[in-house]
Amino acid sequence: MADSLKVGLVGAGGIAHPHVAAWQLLGAEVHVFSLDGQAEFAKRYGIAEASELDELIGDCDVIDVCVPTYAHDRVVMDAAAAKRHVVCEKPLSLTHNRAQAMIDACRTAGVQLYPGQVVRYFAQYAAARDAVAAGRIGEPAVLRLSRRGAAPASDWFADPARSGGVLVDQMIHDFDFARWIAGSVASVYAKVIVRGRLATAYVVLTHGSGALSHITGGWGPPSTVFATAFRVSGSRGELSYSSSARSALRWDAPALREGGGMLLPTDFAPPFVAELREFAAAFRGGPAPRVTAEDSLAALDIALAAVQSASSGQPVSPKDVS
Amino acid sequence: MTLRIGLMSFAHVHAGRYAALLRDRSDVDLRVADPERPALADEFAYAASYEELLDWQPHGVIVCAENARHRPLVELAAARGAHVLCEKPLATTADDASAMVAACRAAGVSLMTAYPVRFHPAFRSLRSTIRSGALGRVLSASGTNNGQAPIAARPWFVDPELAGGGALIDHTVHLADLLDDLLGRRAIEVYAQANRILHGAQVSVETGGLVVVTYDDGTVATIDCSWSVPASYPTWGGLTLALECESGTVEFDAFGDRLDFFDDEAGRLRWLDYGTDLDALMLDAFLGSVRSGTAVEPDGDVGYRTLQIVLAAYRSVASGRPEAVEV
Repeated sequence: MADSLKVGLVGAGGIAHPHVAAWQLLGAEVHVFSLDGQAEFAKRYGIAEASELDELIGDCDVIDVCVPTYAHDRVVMDAAAAKRHVVCEKPLSLTHNRAQAMIDACRTAGVQLYPGQVVRYFAQYAAARDAVAAGRIGEPAVLRLSRRGAAPASDWFADPARSGGVLVDQMIHDFDFARWIAGSVASVYAKVIVRGRLATAYVVLTHGSGALSHITGGWGPPSTVFATAFRVSGSRGELSYSSSARSALRWDAPALREGGGMLLPTDFAPPFVAELREFAAAFRGGPAPRVTAEDSLAALDIALAAVQSASSGQPVSPKDVS
Repeated sequence: MTLRIGLMSFAHVHAGRYAALLRDRSDVDLRVADPERPALADEFAYAASYEELLDWQPHGVIVCAENARHRPLVELAAARGAHVLCEKPLATTADDASAMVAACRAAGVSLMTAYPVRFHPAFRSLRSTIRSGALGRVLSASGTNNGQAPIAARPWFVDPELAGGGALIDHTVHLADLLDDLLGRRAIEVYAQANRILHGAQVSVETGGLVVVTYDDGTVATIDCSWSVPASYPTWGGLTLALECESGTVEFDAFGDRLDFFDDEAGRLRWLDYGTDLDALMLDAFLGSVRSGTAVEPDGDVGYRTLQIVLAAYRSVASGRPEAVEV
């Protein structure tokens, strides 16, 4: 599908790894430019290096933006100016206005922009969405979503001015999923407890339909086992999933944890492959992907409303963020 | 190149699923034959007899007859140069199984046994981790392949002649196959017990069964093959395999990729699978082997080896003692 597509990967941090692995699996030719760790990354995956961002953009058909969030907009603007299609990791940016400007720039340039809302490509989340859309649980009434993992190691994540904090960086996944299941959100109320790098957040969403979502996010100590769960209760039934309750493979093998990343290929690669396959097809004139940049902006607006609510102690409408 | 694929007999419940998957593929031209089910002509390109199907010169065939009726169809297909995918168990007697393997070998066609769990991505990941040596040697294994008794769907499943037995032959083979692949060792001895407490009034074959297999390096595996899953269970059954290794343990749940679905309409909990379609992956592998003309695992030999474990289990049930596995 992505055969012979030339992809310019910008950034060589954590999220760049599943991206490059997925692109290579799809048969794309990947080039990389990064201010940090470029040579090592290029060597590990056997891909070409660019010496400047402009050179990368000039050489490639698609720009895949995996730099820290605060730098997204500059790269996306440059790619749009050169009329390159763009994949941009979530969150698109740290403010509504900057994300809107990115979307506008891509539209004006006539290029496509897709966000890395990868949770929509996890089979269990997609299956829940399909079941709800097929009416199997009737009308969604109350959603409980949670996501908790070790606090990211890179310093910029710990700085809300650069990452947006746990509400914007992590919980945007579940805000997007809640909206995908239960529709647009009218009001957001949030509480955040922060201790150094550790954070726990609880968010209550009131959807336009009247449905309610309770969303838990968390950045825990380094030993935290990554876990996600959801429960969607409707008028005719309920769907639930918990990553800690069961999985196709469960290991009790310290040797594998020390190896680091050994479980990554089976646990995380398929959703990234599914996501980038859809985007690549769309770049070639195929069907529209299941997620749009506007969806990601709407999820960002919910996250920004949560940030405001956590600070003011009052519910906030996503319409009122900027 | 479009492959001509024939499906011989719809006796097995899996046939409908294979046929639907193949019919939807653009690289396959499908024809089915089952003299006992002429109504299939409404749904599929249909041949009235197996001879007519083979006159069409299929590149490959899938045999979904009753367990005891695999051999003549496999021999017919092999004689006409068609590669074969045969439902499990490969046969009900060692003579039949070895004759099928020999017939395919003599005709120069590949013989594959339908063990779809082999293609589970999590099992592949498990196997590569075990083979990497990261967990050391596998010391022991404990597996379950439980299901609801297949009484209503197809009566022959509980016919001792046509099926070759009950739960022991139906459900031991999948795990025996996974263990054959994971361990790469030869099973040498089997101890088995069976009962007929569940559904005993309706069937004459065993519905409960426990099998203990010892391999030539001392590895021990237990297999619970019982048709013990109650009618109110959220799904038909499942398959799990827990491994004890020198430096860790791992549990594989072939149907672990599922959501809980409390269905008010059905009045109970059901499970909603979101995992990979294992039948589709297996058919991919079969079509690949037909195209390339090369054999593919799980082949007829492992079909034969896993049947020998079942046959030893039946001898053990009869004798009450461990029995050697014949080669």
